Amino acid sequence: MLDKSIQEIHEALKNKTIKPIDLVEEAFDRIEKSKELNAYITLNKEEAIKKAKELEEKEVGNNLLFGLPIAVKDNIITKDLKTTCASHILENFVPIYNATVVDKIEANDMIIIGKTNMDEFAMGSSSRTSYFGAPKNPWNKEKISGGSSGGSATTIASRDVLFALGTDTGGSIRQPASYTGIVGMKPTYGRVSRYGLVAFASSLDQIGPMTRNVYENALLLNAIAGADDKDLTSADKEPEDFTRLIGKDIKGMKIALPNYFMSDIVTEEIRNEVEKTKKLLEENGAIVDYVNMKYLDKAVTLYQIIAMGEASSNLARFDGIRYGYRVENPKDIDDLYLETRKNGFGKEVKRRIMVGSYLLSGENAKIYYNKALSIRDDMKKEFDRVFKNYDLIIGPTTTTTAYDLTDPMDDPSKSFMDDVLVIPVNMAGLPGLSLPIGFGKNHMPIGLHIIGNSFDESTIYQLASFLEKQLNLDLYPRKDDKNV
Amino acid sequence: MKDKLTKEEVLHVAHLARIKVDEDEIEKYQVELQKLLNDVDKIKEVEGYDEERMIAPWSKDTTPREDEAKEMLNPKEVLKNAPKHSGNYIEVPIVISEEA
Amino acid sequence: MSNYIPTIGVEVHCELKTNTKIFSNSVNGYGQMANSLTNVIDLGYPGTLPTLNKEVINLAIKAALILNCKIRPKMHFDRKNYFYPDNPKNYQITQAETPIGYDGYVEIDIDGKKKKIEIEEMHIEEDTCKSTHRGTKTLLDFNRAGVPLIEIVTKPCMESGEEAKLYLEKLKELLFYSDVSDCKMEEGSMRADANVSIRKSISDPYGTKAEIKNIGSISNVKLSIEKEIERQAKLYDNGETFLPQTRRFDDKLNDTVLMRVKETGNDYRYFPEPDIPYVYITEKQIEEVRKTIPMLPDKRREKYQSLGISEVNAKKLVQNRALSDYLNELLDEKLDFKTASNLLLGDISGYLNKNEEEITNTHLTKEKFIELTNNISDGTLTSKNVKEILDTVMESDKNIKEIIKEKGIQNITDGSAITEMIKKIIAENPDSVADYKAGKDRAIKYLMGQVMKESKGALNPKMAMDILQEELNK
Repeated sequence: MLDKSIQEIHEALKNKTIKPIDLVEEAFDRIEKSKELNAYITLNKEEAIKKAKELEEKEVGNNLLFGLPIAVKDNIITKDLKTTCASHILENFVPIYNATVVDKIEANDMIIIGKTNMDEFAMGSSSRTSYFGAPKNPWNKEKISGGSSGGSATTIASRDVLFALGTDTGGSIRQPASYTGIVGMKPTYGRVSRYGLVAFASSLDQIGPMTRNVYENALLLNAIAGADDKDLTSADKEPEDFTRLIGKDIKGMKIALPNYFMSDIVTEEIRNEVEKTKKLLEENGAIVDYVNMKYLDKAVTLYQIIAMGEASSNLARFDGIRYGYRVENPKDIDDLYLETRKNGFGKEVKRRIMVGSYLLSGENAKIYYNKALSIRDDMKKEFDRVFKNYDLIIGPTTTTTAYDLTDPMDDPSKSFMDDVLVIPVNMAGLPGLSLPIGFGKNHMPIGLHIIGNSFDESTIYQLASFLEKQLNLDLYPRKDDKNV
Repeated sequence: MKDKLTKEEVLHVAHLARIKVDEDEIEKYQVELQKLLNDVDKIKEVEGYDEERMIAPWSKDTTPREDEAKEMLNPKEVLKNAPKHSGNYIEVPIVISEEA
Repeated sequence: MSNYIPTIGVEVHCELKTNTKIFSNSVNGYGQMANSLTNVIDLGYPGTLPTLNKEVINLAIKAALILNCKIRPKMHFDRKNYFYPDNPKNYQITQAETPIGYDGYVEIDIDGKKKKIEIEEMHIEEDTCKSTHRGTKTLLDFNRAGVPLIEIVTKPCMESGEEAKLYLEKLKELLFYSDVSDCKMEEGSMRADANVSIRKSISDPYGTKAEIKNIGSISNVKLSIEKEIERQAKLYDNGETFLPQTRRFDDKLNDTVLMRVKETGNDYRYFPEPDIPYVYITEKQIEEVRKTIPMLPDKRREKYQSLGISEVNAKKLVQNRALSDYLNELLDEKLDFKTASNLLLGDISGYLNKNEEEITNTHLTKEKFIELTNNISDGTLTSKNVKEILDTVMESDKNIKEIIKEKGIQNITDGSAITEMIKKIIAENPDSVADYKAGKDRAIKYLMGQVMKESKGALNPKMAMDILQEELNK
């Protein structure tokens, strides 16, 4: 049933030929079968079944999301459901409150199926920094699913569920979406409330939908977007239907393709796919221009400074006092801090916290952090300049396709460079989506990155759905294992 | 560009971050942290930028809320996740008093 | 001991009088069960975010106005990062770059002269949680975590413990009177730190600084500064030096004691708080806040004295905010303010203290108070009468006229009736009259006693005395 279109599933629920419990059971069956992919940290089986049964009493109505299972990344706070951030320090943390997005998906009668695997505290680009081991790519189990939302990408790609929430601080939705051949959207900063998203870098973090297709992605964004009194940085925007431009013609649409995104930092096969896409768009009446943009090559540096600086402060609260892991029998208060945080955090996280602390200490705050904020402002203005003349910006999502799980992890810069193409969007707070547009020579998916102007997610969906329809790719890995 | 931080520098940042670094880890950190610091040093090459900062991509100003009390936790809920407590209090090893 | 010039700066933290905390909706309260006034935001739970309490901004604007500060039209918050168990997020949200107020002053009277104590800046921040130390443990109560504070920092512009004391008294009075803070040092809603250094000559650079933390009362601020000046002077006299340090005042030792030598530059790793967008303050908002500032103590004392109230009474009234506020409602009335002040500070205060009552909770309406004062002024009521009827005045809805009637108070206010009575007394006591004429002072007191006895106290004693003297001297 879960391979059918959302309209078909909805009709079946409405006609009562199926019940929500059938979908939940099917999802858990699929998760069980793809267990080795390690997509989940915690399953919510009991509660999901309970919720599905409760929904039997409820009118299905016109809500297409009614009764549908959803996977939630494990850095999004769920009341009474363990939320670990893939870290030892929160291994047994059971929150007493909900993230606003969780309240929203519950209000939409969706059913949380489990909490997905990720890089520890979302720090990483391959989900290999997870305390619980890395998820595997459904297209090739030797490969990474990307990160940090690797578990959410994995469970969507393997078609366990239709919907997942991810979070994106420097590409963590779009890059794994690209590696696993799914659709992942990082909305405009402020579009979705961050209340209950465990902060990595507060000025960059954003929650977004990860789905098997564009339409369902827009549907899920409809459900989670909106102003929130609990988040001062959430935007006051009138509710809108993000599916409204889907299916509309793209004739006359003006699209920019920055030269930097097509430079030799990107593999040839990926550049070729993007070129092909450019041609396809032009054949259909869109205008695609190569443009030069300043600062794109500086985005990773800015990101390293801002993200690590903010992270060092955001993660200071994990000290073993009010919640989370605490070292046994600390000698004194200093020992409590030092040993708890030494044992509680993994290598990548510790490295980033230490560097972040250094970057903010003494005069460094001026030399690095404040300067980064100034250049960040210039970078946003550079995007504004391009958006004066163009509706969208495109480029590849990643420089390579998914690499091997066994690739070395000893270069601390590597995880940042994996996101070189997607980070500028977080810097400027813009919306960006990754759409599968083809495969590399090893049949690993390649993604197109579509960047919109602030709060213009709808136009991104318009272009993405157009391409999705034109390309009509077969994006179902391991087809043989499933009963289609 | 330096290859590695000094031992003292590593211990200093580790202390700022309140993360214990064992003797046998220091060398690894000397190299890894320096690698990241060499990355961020690239910012020093950027010139001619505008001083105005973007603290975050805020789309609005702060609208303060009304001064009205809402639901609070009961002490049991406060203690639920605390690794150690004593009565209604969360407990830590004695802190040398800052207060008189 | 040689002569040194002390330089003193004072930092004051005041908890703001709001219903809720600065960044969350939980109650701002004192003296409640431990950890009963918190929510997940105050506890620094992961994923939680701050909101901003409107009243905090308004009270901070008010404080800035009464401290003659300039107000910043656009500001943001900053994070001050340090690990401490009373600091739930291990960073405190404060204002380092853009304090709401700056360049202000408070005027004090010292040795008969006025001096402006300059205020460097005033900023908003959140309070920490309360730690209690028991044996080998420290116990944490988060009720105070997130209570709004303003921190007021003076320039290093004071030269004695006395100046610091006068500054704090003035500051306390101002903030208390404008309803910004309770300013209860004993409950910690006002806390003071003093920075003290000394030098030989005004042309020398400032000496090494010692910071005395968390002094528990204003008198101890003065004392601790004086002790610290003495300590530093002795060291210098002996040719010794010392490192910048943090000290505290020990009331048992009656001296300051070392807490710790300061680390080389506290590294708080400040950076702008990304979770709270810019806060703008408009002229309109400032004007609206200005309207809520009541008449301040200096102005009150001045006004009272201009209305004929004695300096002593004026001071006493300002010390009792409720009575002063009550009186201020009457300032436009035609009233014998001298009598009114005596009445408020005397019988009425006595009644309120005895019954532990607030004046605004009694039946003493403005009209009744005026009527009562007028009746005293014109001699209708004697002080004895006032004592008799006060309970009824304070506890019933009846007006004074009704009460007088009900109690059967009929004071003889008619001069000729009093004269008649006095003539009769004089006639009945020829011996005393003779004594009086012989210059014996006792005699007139005896005669006056007889008059009061005859009238059962129901006449104005001053009026009676005047007539008695007149008759005797005839």
